[in-house]
Formats: sequence, structure tokens, C-alpha cells
Amino acid sequence: MIACNDDEKNDEVTVHFLFLKDDRSRSGCGKATSSPAENYQLARRRTLQVVVSSLLTECGFESAEKATVESLTEMIQSYISEVGRCAKAYCEHTARITPTLSDTVVTLNEMGFNVDTLPGYAKRSQRMVITAPPVTNAPVIPKALIAGQKRTHPSHIPSHFPEFPDPHTYIKTPTFREPVSDYQVVREKAASQRRDVERALTRFMAKTGETQSLFKDDVTAFPLIAERPSSIPYLSALLPSELELQTLEETDSSEQDDQTDSENTPVNNLNDDPGADKENSVLLAGSVVPLVKVSEESMIDNPYLRPVKKPKVRRKK
Amino acid sequence: MCSLSHLGFVELTIFPTVVNLNRIKLNSKQCRIYRVRVNDLEAPFIYNDPTLEVCHHESKQRNLNYFSSAYTAAVSAVDPDAGHGELVIKVPSELWKQGDEMNVLKVYIEFSLDQPKGGLHFVVPDVEGSMAERGAHVFSFGYQNSTRFWFPCVDSYSELCTWKLEFTVDASMVAVSCGDLVETVYTHDMRKKTFHYVLPIPTAASNISLSVGPFEILVEPYMHEVTHFCLPQLLPLLKHSMSYLHEIFEFYEEILTCRYPYSCFKTVFVDEAYVQVSSYASMSIFSTNLLHSAMIIDQTPLTRQCLAQALAQQFFGCFISRMSWADEWVLKGISGYIYGLYLKKTFGVNQYRHWIKEELDKMVEYELKMGGVLLHPTFGGGKDKDNPTPHLHFSIKHPHTLSWKYYKMFQCKAHLVMRLIENRISMEFMLQVFNKLLSLASTASSQKYQSHMWSQMLVSTHSFLKSISNVSGKDIGPLIKQWVDQSAVVKFFGSFAFNRKRNVLELEIRQDYTSSGTQKYVGPIKVTVQELDGSFNHTLQIEENSLKHDIPCHSKSRRNKKKKIPLMNGEEVDMDLSAMDADSPLLWIRIDPDMSILRKVEFEQADFMWQYQLRYERDVVAQEESILALEKFPTPASRLALTDILEQDQCFYKVRQGACFCLAKIANSMMSTWTGPPAMKSLFTRMFCCKSCPNIVKTNTFISFQSYFLQKTMPVAMAQLRDIQNLCPKDVLNFILDLIKYNDNRKNKFSDNYYRAELIDALTNSLTPAISISNEVRTVDNLNGDVRLILEEITRSLNMEKLLPSYRNTITVSCLRAIRMLQKNGHIPSDPSLFKSYAEYGHFVDVRVAALEAVVDYTRGMHRTSPSEVSRTHPIPYVVHKILSMLGKNPPFTKAAESPLCNEALVDQLWKLMNSGTSHDWRLRCDAVNLYYTLFGLTRPSCLPLPELGLVLNLKEKKAVLNPTIKPEQGPDTTEMTGITMGGLITMETVSSVSMSSGVAPPPQGLKRKLDSVVGPLGSSSPEPGQVLQEEDTSKKFKIRFNTVEEDEIDMESPHDSQAFIHHHLNILERPSTPGQHPAVLSLPVTPLPSSFGKESTSSSKHSGDHHHHHHHHEHKKKKKKKHKHKHKHKHESKDKERDSHAFSNSPASGRSARSPSMSD
Repeated sequence: MIACNDDEKNDEVTVHFLFLKDDRSRSGCGKATSSPAENYQLARRRTLQVVVSSLLTECGFESAEKATVESLTEMIQSYISEVGRCAKAYCEHTARITPTLSDTVVTLNEMGFNVDTLPGYAKRSQRMVITAPPVTNAPVIPKALIAGQKRTHPSHIPSHFPEFPDPHTYIKTPTFREPVSDYQVVREKAASQRRDVERALTRFMAKTGETQSLFKDDVTAFPLIAERPSSIPYLSALLPSELELQTLEETDSSEQDDQTDSENTPVNNLNDDPGADKENSVLLAGSVVPLVKVSEESMIDNPYLRPVKKPKVRRKK
Repeated sequence: MCSLSHLGFVELTIFPTVVNLNRIKLNSKQCRIYRVRVNDLEAPFIYNDPTLEVCHHESKQRNLNYFSSAYTAAVSAVDPDAGHGELVIKVPSELWKQGDEMNVLKVYIEFSLDQPKGGLHFVVPDVEGSMAERGAHVFSFGYQNSTRFWFPCVDSYSELCTWKLEFTVDASMVAVSCGDLVETVYTHDMRKKTFHYVLPIPTAASNISLSVGPFEILVEPYMHEVTHFCLPQLLPLLKHSMSYLHEIFEFYEEILTCRYPYSCFKTVFVDEAYVQVSSYASMSIFSTNLLHSAMIIDQTPLTRQCLAQALAQQFFGCFISRMSWADEWVLKGISGYIYGLYLKKTFGVNQYRHWIKEELDKMVEYELKMGGVLLHPTFGGGKDKDNPTPHLHFSIKHPHTLSWKYYKMFQCKAHLVMRLIENRISMEFMLQVFNKLLSLASTASSQKYQSHMWSQMLVSTHSFLKSISNVSGKDIGPLIKQWVDQSAVVKFFGSFAFNRKRNVLELEIRQDYTSSGTQKYVGPIKVTVQELDGSFNHTLQIEENSLKHDIPCHSKSRRNKKKKIPLMNGEEVDMDLSAMDADSPLLWIRIDPDMSILRKVEFEQADFMWQYQLRYERDVVAQEESILALEKFPTPASRLALTDILEQDQCFYKVRQGACFCLAKIANSMMSTWTGPPAMKSLFTRMFCCKSCPNIVKTNTFISFQSYFLQKTMPVAMAQLRDIQNLCPKDVLNFILDLIKYNDNRKNKFSDNYYRAELIDALTNSLTPAISISNEVRTVDNLNGDVRLILEEITRSLNMEKLLPSYRNTITVSCLRAIRMLQKNGHIPSDPSLFKSYAEYGHFVDVRVAALEAVVDYTRGMHRTSPSEVSRTHPIPYVVHKILSMLGKNPPFTKAAESPLCNEALVDQLWKLMNSGTSHDWRLRCDAVNLYYTLFGLTRPSCLPLPELGLVLNLKEKKAVLNPTIKPEQGPDTTEMTGITMGGLITMETVSSVSMSSGVAPPPQGLKRKLDSVVGPLGSSSPEPGQVLQEEDTSKKFKIRFNTVEEDEIDMESPHDSQAFIHHHLNILERPSTPGQHPAVLSLPVTPLPSSFGKESTSSSKHSGDHHHHHHHHEHKKKKKKKHKHKHKHKHESKDKERDSHAFSNSPASGRSARSPSMSD
């Protein structure tokens, strides 16, 4: 598909180019043509002019103004270009890349041309034979930038399928160096990275908050974040930090299944009610904690778990 | 702010056992007693606590000998075991005649306690929210029998009675106390609830405790009668920490073949605990810092050990109580012994033997230094003259006069002696004895008081020894005489020679029994000789004059060294015998390998023998001994032996840890000949570093705890290495810095906080004194490069702790120590301000202690701060205790040395501290005495002027009037009061001030009602034969009401109230409460407060003058205090007038005034 598009583009570019050239020549800023591509185009154009002239002659004109011939040439060129474009569109619509006869026929019909009249017209008696356009060097299409080797078809793709496009269109282009996977370097990096982060963080905290210093002469050297007495100091000292909990979850994720199993067995054993087993198994899939609580609260007779009595009861006594 | 107080009512029912009971003596401290009634009749009472201020007359006496005897006399004067007490109630004369009929006396006491300094500890965090949200709680504490601090009682371990306890607390709180919770009932306004407890098992008042707080409740999943309580948010930790408790229960019940005696057990975890573990009847109070999560390795065994100790004390100590103080060793011994059995079962024989050795060494060291520890003191005829322990600066006659360290060693020795008894009579018999004691006690506990069975629940040395001889049929008299009735340990010196001709080992064992703390040992001793053909035990008799012992050898030295050598445990091993003496078949010799004598052995054998012992002896004690000995043999062979041990996985980890430090020492001694990399470096690399990159340590896993402990220890030991310049080798320092750098705990399920803390410790160890060029000031610029690196690590770690605190802030603790070491070595300027800020209230207790340790150390080094300065502002008893004991351990100066610190102000301050400042806590007072002893010795400090020149305050006479009698009351009194108490009920309430005024009246009525139901038919009775008991409580009733009052809501009803309030507040602030003043019934002389205040203010102002260079806020505080005093003086004058009118009235007004909350700063 991409290849097709390319071709089409080339065509269009070509056509367009022709117009431009014409405009230029018409506006009279004629320059000596130099590029072989232009020469090629001009040669084709000249052939078309010849065709127009011969058709005029055929129709009985003896002479024509140059401008008229130019216009007619322009029209015929547009017409042919349009036929080509449409035919190509039709063919691509049916997932092919080369237009066939039927594409052209449909196109011509679409453009309001009666194709049936074409054979008759071709065999008319007074037609003139025009020599083939002079052979000129085919224009050198400037090569697209090739990046990497084009891939050939793998065996399961028939060779008639279009070629792979340039690798750069579908292969990622590395713009960075490949990461180092050497263990030592990784550890070193991780360590220094962590240290840098910690240092930056603590420096920041020290700069933004109160500090204590170990030196009297230079207070900024080795700043210590000022201690802050907490009203409940044991909480932060005893409870694991969130970071630690996170680590624990990560490392435990694999072992968790075993653990919950072993934790649950005694609870289940305590639970003598066989009917509760079903509930348990259902709950097991969910979370563990509610199960323990449910069974505890329902089974355990502990004075501290009993509801507090209302004072009225006491009065009756 | 709230005031910390409670209101209470105690009701005792007493069975008189003698006819003319007209005085009842009870123990009470701090409590303000409003009224006492006996059988509904108002009873006059005298309150007199001689321990409040030990020395009165001799205000200028500063002699510790004098103090000790005065203090002992004061404690004796109120000793409940001798029938004395602070509170003497006169039985109304109307009831005297009933004595013939032996009627029951019901003593009803109404009291309050305001801002107690001892006995009860209130923890009220200063945050927003209600009391429950703030986690405010209160718990009882004390050293030995200290229940008298929070309610009047017979505060003795030998006075048993049954209990009914009621506590009314805020609806958001839980009150946990001894016995079964019968029911919880709301008060009528539904804002409070009352917890009703019943303890049917006869229990001594000293074993009663209480804690109230917004606890989270966890019911033990395996045993529903066990309930755990912890402070809010800690429930997950509680769940994890308590998950082993049932195993401990099972273990004890199995070995004792006896069920846990109480019907329930409660554990409460509180903040600011007095000690880590304290056991009371059916409940134990622990420090909340014992709780830990599953990630923590190091704390886990410690917490389990604490639980096991608590539980052992439930059986012996709480359920079975002691007859008298002299029998304390039996209970401590048994509970310590069965705890040891638990250790052996749970942590293994190695750990157990290691522990025994550790305890033995500790105890022996203490005894050799301080003189003996006497387990069973006997006091001939109650005379003080024949003091069994003249070497000590305190009396061992009462638990309350003991130094804390001595008491610890006492416990240590007690369980070691129990082990010796077990060695003698076998464990089977030992457990049978315990079982017998327990089953007798539990039979007795279910009996009524009238059956006179309750004494079976008390154990005495005599009854214990009798059970032993009954059960085992063995005579352990000599053993008891040697270790229990006699103090001191044995010190052996051993050496040997091998007589080749006779093939005999000539062993010489000498004793040192002349130096302090030693005694002579006569009797059997076991010697184990490892020969080529096996290990052989020999029992030698140590006799008066025989030093030399000939031991025939079983094997000849052999040329053929291929054969395997059998060891003691039957194992056969190959040994490289090239090192040994070719002529002798001896591999190694051990004296008393089973530690069946309380001894210290110094044995001489050749270095290769120690090396063989280290490598091949399987007993950890032998291995540790040889490690210690090898320090003296810095040879390549020793190095090799130690390295081999380090590498052996099967070796006990503590032995390997010890080997690390020994290797470091050897390496330092071998400095000049040492080849290869620094000691342990390659070993560490091989064990803990990556294979591909040996300079990087593996990411932490800590799955194998043995290697974890080794990994922790090795860097610390390595940092002790020194090169020729006596610096830590650069290699080692960089190595440790790399360990810190590459430490990676992300994939670990355990916390690495202890490991990181030890790495910081390693950095600390690597520090050496700075080379100082003259006396320049330390600045950042002239910081040594290595030190800069170290300091950077420390700074970063300490700062990170603020953001991500580690468990128990271990890293902060290590960092503080490191900073102190940097200061000490002169790398950074010495400055205590950092430590002082960390020592403030509001930091985790470990951090505070570490910071205080640094301050104490600073004091020693710089001779500038006054030590007791530090101890003033810390409200937590544990912390103050720590300060004093640290000062004692690391004193700023001693009696021998001159010091600018040693001045009169300090002497006065310290004297005041122990004389009156610490009357609320026995332990603190003894700590203060200890410190005084360390600083000044027994005699009058040399820095003081002669006593004649001392200024005598002119108000002294007034004071003398007040003087309470120090001498115990004479015979007639004590016989008169013989009786029995019975009936009791406690009600406690946490009330807000709104209900305060109305709360006074109703309780007595409620009490009466209850009383009627409790008091059943009571018959007369006489004391058990052979008992010295004078009172027996069969049950008690208490009502205690807690006040948690908002200050703003104080209702100043009259000028009198407000004055009384201020007076009371100042009183509390300045001195321990002096009850008896307010509700005086007898014409009690009024305390001449102005005089004592005047004295205090002068001395403190003197003090601030001397130390004015200290923190401003200290001075500020002092000024504030002084102001209070002046204000008080003024008030007092006007108060005196009023006092006359109020002195004899029992008006509720006076009661209310005392209950008024006090303002706090």
C-alpha cells in the first residue's frame, strides 16, 4: 500500500510539475532547460502539441493560433491525467496496484465518454499517424534516503506482494545508548542514585526547616534537621513505616498464600460449626481479617467483649 | 490541661485475733485521707510517714553511714511485715469492749490522690482530642511492695485477702485490674462505666495493680481467657507479638503439671513503663516498646523472653507469695529457674548455657567488686548491730533500701542457686517440689479464710527446704549454707603439669578467699580432661590444705596420629595433632565445666590446648572460655582457629560473634607480622558479598539469622583494627563505608534497621583521637578527610531518620553515640546542646537514654555541667532511674579524685534528692544513695566545711516538733493491734469536674450496701501457730475515683477553696504530698512549711548562681519556682489562721479543696 501511494505521489508530482513548468514558460521567464527531467517532460508536451495539431488538421483547420493550441494541449493533458488518476483510484480501491482495462473503461464511462464509440473512432480513415516521441533519458528519480537494509520477503509471503518499505518506517530507531545490564554497575548506580536522592532530600529539608549544627564556626556544614519532640513518640518508633510495609507486601506476595493458609487453619479448627465452613471458604477467597473477626466475636466469650450493661439493671438488684 | 488524680474508698474487714485491739496500722503514702470510720463510727487517725524526709535534725549531716541507718530505721518503722504502718487508726472506744466477742471490724477509709509521683503513673500526651483519642492512660507501678502509694492497705506480700474491685472510668476507657471482670455497668449519665472485678484467690495487696486507658483489646485466639491490651494503633503489632504466648503457657503448665492458677490472664502494654515486665495477680504490665512487627528480628527473642518471665512470675511471685523479705530468693529463684527451662526448650541448649554463663559471670563480677550478695539474710533478734553485710553502703534488711543493681544480682544469684539445687536433686524432683508447692497453694486458695489454710500460699525458705528434703530425701543443707545463708563466690586459680613417667596429670587448684566477695569452697569439683583416647570426667575433693590433685591419664601419647578422637558427646573427629606436645596425651582440661559452683576460674593451659578446645569442644561455654583465653596468645595458630570457627555454620552464632572481636584484638597485637588483607575482610567478602563483584555486598535477605547476626557483628569488630599509627586501616574504613553505600534492603522481608545501626557503630569504632595541633578550636576546615566521610554518613543517616524513622529509632541512637565519640576524640567541638535537645521529653525513650548517656559522658569529660541538673525535669521514673544509674556507672568524679564539680551545692542537692526528693520511688532513692556513695563515699564529703561551721536555720526548732518518731513503736502497741481485716471493694472513676461535687456523697451508701452482702458469718480465730502474722485481710473493698478534670472548669466556690487549692498545688509541687495535714483529727502539729521552703529556695538559688552559664530556660524555671514559693509563703500565713478553724473538722469542704485539680504550667 505504501508503495502504491508512493507511485501515485510520483505521478501527481509529475503532473503538477508540468503545470508549473507551463506557467513559468507562459509567463515568459523562460530559462534554458537544463535538468533531464524537464527535458523529458517537454518532449512529451511537444508530442501532445503535435497530436493536437494533427487533430486540428484532421478536422479541417489550416492554421491555429499558438495560444489556442496551447489551451487545447492543456485540456487534453488534463483529460488524460484525470483518466489515469481515476483508473488508478479504481484499481487501488480493489486492492490492486496496476490499473486494468476495465478500470479505464469504468473511468471513461464515469467521465461521460461512450466507450463503444472508441473502436470506430480508432478505425477512421482520415487519421494521421504520428511518430513516437523522441527517446530521451528517463528522468532520474532522486533516491529516497535509505536507512538500513530493506527486508526481503519471508518465505510465507508470495514474492508478488509489494516489497517492505524502508526499515526506518517500521523499525524503532535507537536514539539512546543501550542500558548497561552489568550487575556491578547496576548496583553502583542504584546505590549512588539512592544516596544522591537521600542527600538532596535531607539537604532540602535542612534548608527549609530548622537545623542543628555540630560546628560553631560554620553552621551550614553538616546540617542536622532539628529534632522535633513528638507527643506520642512510641508510635513512630514502633510502627513500621509505609515504605517498609510496601516492601513487605512486595516480598511477601509470593509467600502470602501459604501464610494465610497456615494462619487460618487453627481458626477453622476452633470453629466447630460445620455449617460455617461454606461461609469460610467463600470468605477465604476475599480477605482474611474479617473472617477472623467474625469467628472470634461469635465464638469467644470474653468479659471484655461483652456489651456494657445499662445502669437500670443495677437498680433492680 | 487536666489534673491527674483519683478519689477512692477502701473498706477493710478485720477479724480481730486478740482481745484488746484498739489500734490498726495500715500503709499509705501520698494519699490524702479524709475520714476513717470503723463500724460506722468516726475514728481518729494519725498519719506519719518517716520516709518522706529521712534525716530531720541533722540538716548539715552529710554522711552516708548516718543516712543509711536512718533510712533503714524509717523503713522499718513502717514495715508492714513487722506490723507497722504510716497510718495508725485508733479504734473508737465504743468498740473496744466488743473485743471479747471478737466481732468483725469494718474499717472504711476515704482518700484521694492528686498528681501522684509514685505508685500510679499518668501518661497524657499533649495533643488535640479527647483523652481516649490522645491515648492517655494510667498504670500502677512500683518496686517491690508499693501499693501503698495509691491506696491505703497492708502493703505486705504476706497479708493475703480476697478482693472486690470497682473502677469507674470514662466510657471510652478500659480499666484492667486483677481478677475476673464480672460486669461493666454504665453510670446513670451514661458517660462513664464501672468495671467490677472479683479476685476470689487470696492475694496480697502488693500484687494488686491497675491500668486504665483507651486500650485496644485482643483476645488470645488459642486461649480465650487470655486478653491482651495495647494502646491505640498498635493492635497489629500486638497481634504479632502475642502470637507465641500460648506456647509459653503450655510449656509452664506441662513442666509444673499444674494449670495456670488464675481463671484469666491479662497483658497490658503501656508507655513510659517503670520496668519492662512487672507481674501482678492475674495480670502483667509490660512496656509498649516490647511490641514489634514481623519485620523485626532482634526484638523478637527479647519480647518472648519478657513474656516468659512475666508468666513464670505469675506462678511464683503472684500466686505463691512470700512469707517475708528473707524468703524472696525462693520465689525469684524458682521463677528464674523455670524461665531458664523455657529458654532451654525454645532457644536451645546453646542459648541456655550461654545465658547461664553470662549470668554467672555478671554475678561473680558484681560480687567480687561490691562484696557478696546474700540471698537469705537472717537478722539476729532484730538488732541492727549484727549487720550481715557490712561491706555494703545500704542495708539489705528491706527491699526498699536495696540498690537496684544489687537486687538484679540477687535475682541472678537466686536462679543460679536453684540450678545448683537441681544439679543436686535432679530436675524431676525439683519439678515435683514446685508442683507440690503449687498444689498445696491451690488447695488452700479455694478454702475460706477461717480454715487457716491460706498460709500454704506463702512460701518460706524453711518450707521450701522441707519440701525438697521430703520429695528428694536428700540433704542439701551444705549447699544452702554455702550459697544461700552466706554471701560471696569462689575464685579458683588452676594450673597443671603432666608427669610423663607416671602418666599422671598433676593439677593444682588454688583459691583466693581473702579478697572481698570471695569465700572458701570445700567439697567436690568436677574436672573434665580431654585426652587422645577420649574425654574423662574426674571428681576431685577440694579440701582445706590439698592444692594438688593427681589425675591418672587414660591414654598414652602416640606417634600414630591417624586415629579418630572421641569427644565428650560421643562424636569422633579427626584432628590435626601436629600442634600438640608429642609427649602428652592431653588435649585440653576444664574445671567445673557444668558451672555447678558459683565461681570464677582462671585456668592456665598452653595456647594449643585452648585452640583445640575452641575447635573441638562442643560446649559453647568452653568455646567462649577459650576465645577469652586466646586473646592472650596472638599467634597465627590462634588466628587460624578463630577464622575456622567464624566459618563454621554449625557453631553457635554467639560464639562466632565473640570470635570476631577476639580476632580483631589478636590482629592488633600481631600488627607487625600480620599478612594478607585486614582480618575478617576476605571472610566477610566470601560470605556476604557478590561473587562477581567482591566489593559489593549482596542485597539483604536475612533469611538465615545466624549469618545475619554474624554480618552485623563482623564490621563492628573489624572497625576495631588498628595499624601501626594506631589508626583504623584505610581499607577497613572504606570497606565499611562501601557496606553502607551498597546496603540494599528492597527485596528483604525483614527490616535492616539494626544492621544499619551496627554499621554506624562500626564507624564509631573506627574513630581514633584526632591529632591536635595545640589547643585549636575544631572547625569544619581542619576536619580530617576520613572523618569528613564518616560525619557525612552520620549526618545523612540521622537526617533520614527524621523522614523515615526506624524501629525503636536504633539508627538515631547509634548516630548520637557516634557524634559523642567524634566529640570525645576531638574531631568536632565538644558540645552537649545537641544531646540535651534529644534528651527532652517527647523523644523515644531509647533516644533519650542515649542522649542522656552522652550528656553524662560530657559531664565527666568536661567537668562543667552539674549532673543532677539533668535529672530534674524528667517526669518518667524509668528515665530518671537511668540517669542516676548512668551517672553511677560513669561518674563525673569519684571520692578519690579532686574535681571542681565536687562542691557543697552538689552535695546539698544530691543529699536533698535522696533525703526527701525521691520519697515517691524506692528505686530512685536507692539510685541516689548509690550515686552519693560513688561520688563521696561513706563519710562526710571532703568539700564540705566542718559541721560546726554549718549554718543552722533558725526555724529548725519548729520543725523538730513535727518530727515523726523514727524508731518503731514498742511492743505493747503491736500486740494491741493484732487483728484481721476483711471485706474490700474499690471503685475508681474518671470524672469530669461537673460531677465532682456530687460524686462525694453517694459512694459511702453504695459501699454500705455492698458491705452487707459481703460480710458473712465470721467467727473468731487465732493466728496460726508459728506465724508472726498480726493481721490478715480476708477481703477488701475499695472505691477509687479517678479525676481527669479540665482546668478551666474549676469551680472556686469560696476564697477558702481557692486558697486551699493554691496551697495544695504548691505543696504538691514542692514536696511529696504530706497527707494528714488537712483532715487532721488529732491535734497534729502543723508542718512549718515556710522553713523548709526557705531552705529549698536558698539552696536552689545558690545552685543557679553556680551554674549560671547553663541554659537560660533552666534558670527561668528556677525563677518561676521561686515565685511560687514566695506566693506560697504569703498564702500560708493567711492559711494558718484558717487552719485553726478547719483543723478538726471533717467538713466536705476541706475534702473538696484537696481534690481540686492543680494547675500545671
